[in-house]
Amino acid sequence: MTRATDDIIIRTVARILIPFIQLYALYVIMHGHHSPGGGFQGGVILGASFILYLLTHGLEEAKTRMSEVRATLFSSIGLLIFSGIGLFCLILGSNYLDYGKLSIILRVIPAQARSLGILGVEIGVGIGVMAVMFSIFFDISTGGTIPDDGENLGERDE
Amino acid sequence: MNSFFLFQGMGLFALVLLCLYRGAFGPGVLNRIAGICAIGTKTLVVLLLMGFIYNRVEMFVDISMVYAFLNFIGTITAAKYLERIGELP
Repeated sequence: MTRATDDIIIRTVARILIPFIQLYALYVIMHGHHSPGGGFQGGVILGASFILYLLTHGLEEAKTRMSEVRATLFSSIGLLIFSGIGLFCLILGSNYLDYGKLSIILRVIPAQARSLGILGVEIGVGIGVMAVMFSIFFDISTGGTIPDDGENLGERDE
Repeated sequence: MNSFFLFQGMGLFALVLLCLYRGAFGPGVLNRIAGICAIGTKTLVVLLLMGFIYNRVEMFVDISMVYAFLNFIGTITAAKYLERIGELP
């Protein structure tokens, strides 16, 4: 079980640093097709910011920001965005994840439609990877027990 | 100018070996954590020097920033684990 730390230095540094880490993760997701990075890497950085919050502020406070239910919901939403765009291309009469046909809907040239399509897919992958990373860390740090009712809290502490 | 960055990187790499010795054989856990953290910091600078050598420094700045974040989180995690164990072996 991860408790909140008492050290004010670590708490303050994490509180200041977490928004910048999240902003940088969004930059990595958005610039995935121009520079190194992409959906998976940005999602890992975004998940690492939540993991840092859980490490410094404890499990109880982290559950108010990102609970297990929300992590599952976000991973499902990310997968839905990813596969939804792919299936949308399939419906429009093209191959799976072939974004050229999206130009009919988006009213742009096919090259620009490909760029926007891969951006949408990367956003979906980023959300899914972020939620799954946090969920894995959540499960490991609680030792498999899901302390939703607050009954198991503190038993595995020492 | 390229050879200047190259030799600087090689010097930092030699320092990484020294830190690796401290991380592997260092007496106590705190010395090991400090050694590994110093390796992370040196790797960050070596990545930037590689960016200067390849003339793509804007790409390597991205990678080194990720490395800095993850190095910070890794050090916090190791310190947290020590705090939970409660005593310094």
